[in-house]
Amino acid sequence: MKQYIMKRILLTIPLLICISFVCFVFINLIPSDPAEVALRVRQVPVITDEAIAEVREELGLDKPYLVRYAGWVADCLRGDFGISYTNPSRTVAGELARCLPATLQLAGTSLILVILLSLPIGFLCAVYRNSWFDKIIRMLVFMTTAMPAYWIGLLLMWLVAIKLDLLPTSGSGTFSHLILPAVTVSFTYISTYIRLIRNNMLENMKQDYVLYANVRGIPQKKILIGHILRNSLHTCFVAIGMSIPQLIAGTIVVENVFAWPGLGTLCITSIFNRDYPVIQTYVLLIGVLFVVFNLIFDILQTVADPRLRKEAS
Amino acid sequence: MFKRFLHNKTAVITTALILAIAVLGILAPWIAPNDPYENDIINKFAAFSLEYPLGTDHLGRCVLSRMLFGIRPTLGLAALTMIGTIGLGALMGLLAGHFGGIVDEVIMRVVDVMLSFPSQIMVFAVVALLGIDVRNVILANVFIKWAWYARMIRTGVVQYRDRNFVLFSRCVGMPEHFILFRHLLPSIAADLAVLSSLDIGWAIINISTLSFLGLGVQAPIPEWGAMLNEAKNVLTTNPVQMLTPGIAIVAVVTAFNLLGDALRDVLDPKETQV
Repeated sequence: MKQYIMKRILLTIPLLICISFVCFVFINLIPSDPAEVALRVRQVPVITDEAIAEVREELGLDKPYLVRYAGWVADCLRGDFGISYTNPSRTVAGELARCLPATLQLAGTSLILVILLSLPIGFLCAVYRNSWFDKIIRMLVFMTTAMPAYWIGLLLMWLVAIKLDLLPTSGSGTFSHLILPAVTVSFTYISTYIRLIRNNMLENMKQDYVLYANVRGIPQKKILIGHILRNSLHTCFVAIGMSIPQLIAGTIVVENVFAWPGLGTLCITSIFNRDYPVIQTYVLLIGVLFVVFNLIFDILQTVADPRLRKEAS
Repeated sequence: MFKRFLHNKTAVITTALILAIAVLGILAPWIAPNDPYENDIINKFAAFSLEYPLGTDHLGRCVLSRMLFGIRPTLGLAALTMIGTIGLGALMGLLAGHFGGIVDEVIMRVVDVMLSFPSQIMVFAVVALLGIDVRNVILANVFIKWAWYARMIRTGVVQYRDRNFVLFSRCVGMPEHFILFRHLLPSIAADLAVLSSLDIGWAIINISTLSFLGLGVQAPIPEWGAMLNEAKNVLTTNPVQMLTPGIAIVAVVTAFNLLGDALRDVLDPKETQV
């Protein structure tokens, strides 16, 4: 078991190197010269060729590519992601730290909503399959997959915030600001997980152990909750866990609709302002989160599931 | 197979709907009641009327005409994205699956890295890097999506590579490109058709999302996502503005999703035996 976990952790290292290298190449592909940009950031009035050469040396831009990459990774590990192009008084790390709590709050609330809603609905759909309830839910699920998230946001904003005047349309601060964006973010994920749980439970119902439990005369309720649901929860737990970074990244559009001051708004503003270090760090952050969450839930799954444990060792 | 396609009601209806929309888009300059760019500020937010069947927007432009012209970028860009994605994905997948060895190893490792990145973030990153432009949106979408197709096609090719008809073909001295394009590609075409019709809905949503954020199709060009962006600004006073483009997007994407499901039923060989 220990061996498997070690192997799994070691395997992520090349992946992390690849991701960081892509992010590093990303900023080196931009059309402008970093030395010139650095001079502009420092508000040097006249940019001469000598000044550029000097800065080039100072920033280490004259060194070979791989040496610069190593230096950049070392800086990143220390938490130094450089300085924002548009606002030289701010560091990228500071900007991200400023916006991260709002996004985490939004993503966290959405995650709770997803779990609270999709689990019982998916369960009921599987238990009463092909009933009117199941059919209506399946139709709704099919419809929501065709709806762009921003349009759902606009509809909710109009209906709840403007027509009924129950909640504020945009901004952040209080709990009432959080409800609409969180519902919007969770909308698409809820439909995905309802389908996942429903199909997974139906799949489990066909298994031999259910037949055996029926033969033994165990009450239906106990089979459903004690056997089928328990087995389905394993898969769903892992799937939901692995989608947490996706949830964090998925707030990007919704944040812009509701003017939520999180990472998504920061990212879009940075794209418009060509603030490359911020975008680079954001991509790096989300990429690393993806790898880390995949790793954690992969290991947890193996630890929790005796069948996989046997395979691993 | 074509007969079974005609027998599947969903497939026929959705195909007809999609073709009808495409034809409307192509014929837009001739059938649109008004010029989609013509401002008429006095007539802004006009109600439904004979002159403006779907009313006018915040600049007094005819909404129906803009919707009709909007079909062109919406469907056209999505189609271009899919052509690019399938082309690149098929090429990489065929190369990896057919040649195996080091080629396979290199391509599949690249695919692994591509798939470990969250797709939405990559689109934003590529658009940020290349600058805000429609062409870059397509490039970004192709860039992040080809890996899925490459992996799927490779799996298909590996599955068929050692079948007897391929071995026979090679035995009688058929050239490699003949085996690739006459044997392997048709074998996986069915899977490809299902996946791509499901994915084109994804592409439409993705492109319209970028346009909505102002990163894709730029104003004043009529595009459904960009129209929703304009509608957002007048949400409080004229909420009707956001209904037409939104419903249109949902309708087209639903049609493609239904078509994908129907194609799966039509093309699934398991169903044939029943």
